[in-house]
Amino acid sequence: MLGAYVQYWRTNLLTMLEYRANFIMWFAFTIVYHGVALGALYVTMRQFPSMNGWDFRQMFFLYALWMTGHELHNALFFNVVSVPEFVREGRFDRFLVRPLDALFQVLTVPAQLFPDGLILAIATFVFATAYAHVRVDWIFCVFAPLVIAGGALIDLGISLGVATVSFWFVRVDTLRWVVMSLEQDFTRYPISIYTRGVRVVLTFILPFAFMNFFPAVYFLHKATTGMQIDPRLGLLTPAIGLGWFFVSYAFWQVGLRHYQGTGS
Amino acid sequence: MIAARHFEPYVEFAKKAFAREATYRLEVLTEVGSLVLRVYILRSLWTALYAQNLAPIGLPLHGMITYATVALLMSLILEVDGTRLIREKIREGSIATDLMKPISLPTYFFSDGVGQTLLHALLVVPSLACALLLVHIDVPPPATLAVFALSFLLGYCVNFFINFLMNAIAFWTLETFAIQMIVRWVSDLLSGQIIPLTFFPGVLGRLVFGLPFAAVYSTPLLIYVGIIPRTAWMPSLEIQCGWLLAFAGLSHLVWRAASRRVVIQGG
Repeated sequence: MLGAYVQYWRTNLLTMLEYRANFIMWFAFTIVYHGVALGALYVTMRQFPSMNGWDFRQMFFLYALWMTGHELHNALFFNVVSVPEFVREGRFDRFLVRPLDALFQVLTVPAQLFPDGLILAIATFVFATAYAHVRVDWIFCVFAPLVIAGGALIDLGISLGVATVSFWFVRVDTLRWVVMSLEQDFTRYPISIYTRGVRVVLTFILPFAFMNFFPAVYFLHKATTGMQIDPRLGLLTPAIGLGWFFVSYAFWQVGLRHYQGTGS
Repeated sequence: MIAARHFEPYVEFAKKAFAREATYRLEVLTEVGSLVLRVYILRSLWTALYAQNLAPIGLPLHGMITYATVALLMSLILEVDGTRLIREKIREGSIATDLMKPISLPTYFFSDGVGQTLLHALLVVPSLACALLLVHIDVPPPATLAVFALSFLLGYCVNFFINFLMNAIAFWTLETFAIQMIVRWVSDLLSGQIIPLTFFPGVLGRLVFGLPFAAVYSTPLLIYVGIIPRTAWMPSLEIQCGWLLAFAGLSHLVWRAASRRVVIQGG
């Protein structure tokens, strides 16, 4: 299985070299995409320097933390997003007759992927850490990568959940788009700006707040007035990520059984 | 009479596009749902920002929430890319046979886009109803509302031609999707859809007002919330008309060059 995975990355990198112009255009898009988000934040916060006690530097760090987890997800698990397409075109059935785990096969469909977004994200994260004056001690060095990995798993849980829905409903494009853009909108600001009900949802039901808000509270030593939380909650992100992934993987298995059951 | 008969097929195209869009009911529902959530986010965001900072001149909190909500409702209409068909038809090659039909293709694309737009315009009603449960929207006097509508119409047309040009790039290279996404993302920020262009500082501020994107969202919205005063209505509309003419002219040239290209290639 590991051998197959190495081969998969080799193919990806080789295809990337083949389609250089296309690669450059998409890389430019990745830069513009994050640039627009940060640009909008910068312009807004020049006018309004404080967002519930967070300044622009801290907001930058909050964004960079989300961005790195998200781009790690995109680099490793992006194919999950294509599952509805595989199902619609009937290509998914192929995975079921082969003697490897279906999810693993989905993840290793060559797709001209190159971890350019991830490299950009790591650079942004390193810059943001210095820019926001985060204290880099051993806890940070150990937990920052773990938190990012946990964030990627939370992301994977979401995309796997949406992909699984496509076993029942054929068209899930809009659902996917909505979930993705909501994730971006809700993770962009400190969740303390939301009402209690929404904070509960973002913590327990769709745990986006663990991707960046709670860890950022810990790393930046932010006081969360009115929320009565232990700042160490942010260090739970890796565990939440794993748990969330297992829940969605179980849902995926249910979906697979249903898919095979109907024979559709 | 003759003119009416001339437009008849295009009305039919628009109706067909409308019906086609209406078949994806679940998609339509999710769109309204996501808009409502966005209204909630913008209310939380601007309320938090205004609570702890000095309000900018001329735009109190209720004005800002009105601006952001109306911008969202406008995006229901403006984010429909009616000319996406061009790219698809070029990729499939069916553009060649379409060029032989006795119709004006650009007008066909426009009417198809209008049909799609009308369905999405219907969505404004339920979306607005739901949004009103969450936020209060200021309603300006009738004269302002009328000028806003006119300015919005101009913005719609400018947006159509920008999309048209983006999709027409496909005549030369098929890898246009990335370019299109880049332009779309940049224009989200520079058109004033996400934040009012009046927030941009100094030179940057003057620059963004000088770009064509401002004609799409910013002008109608600033008229709506009253930042563009009555005295500046005419000049603002004139600038929009200027951009419209410029892009329509450019689209005309590009289309001529493009159709010649298809013919030369023997398509």
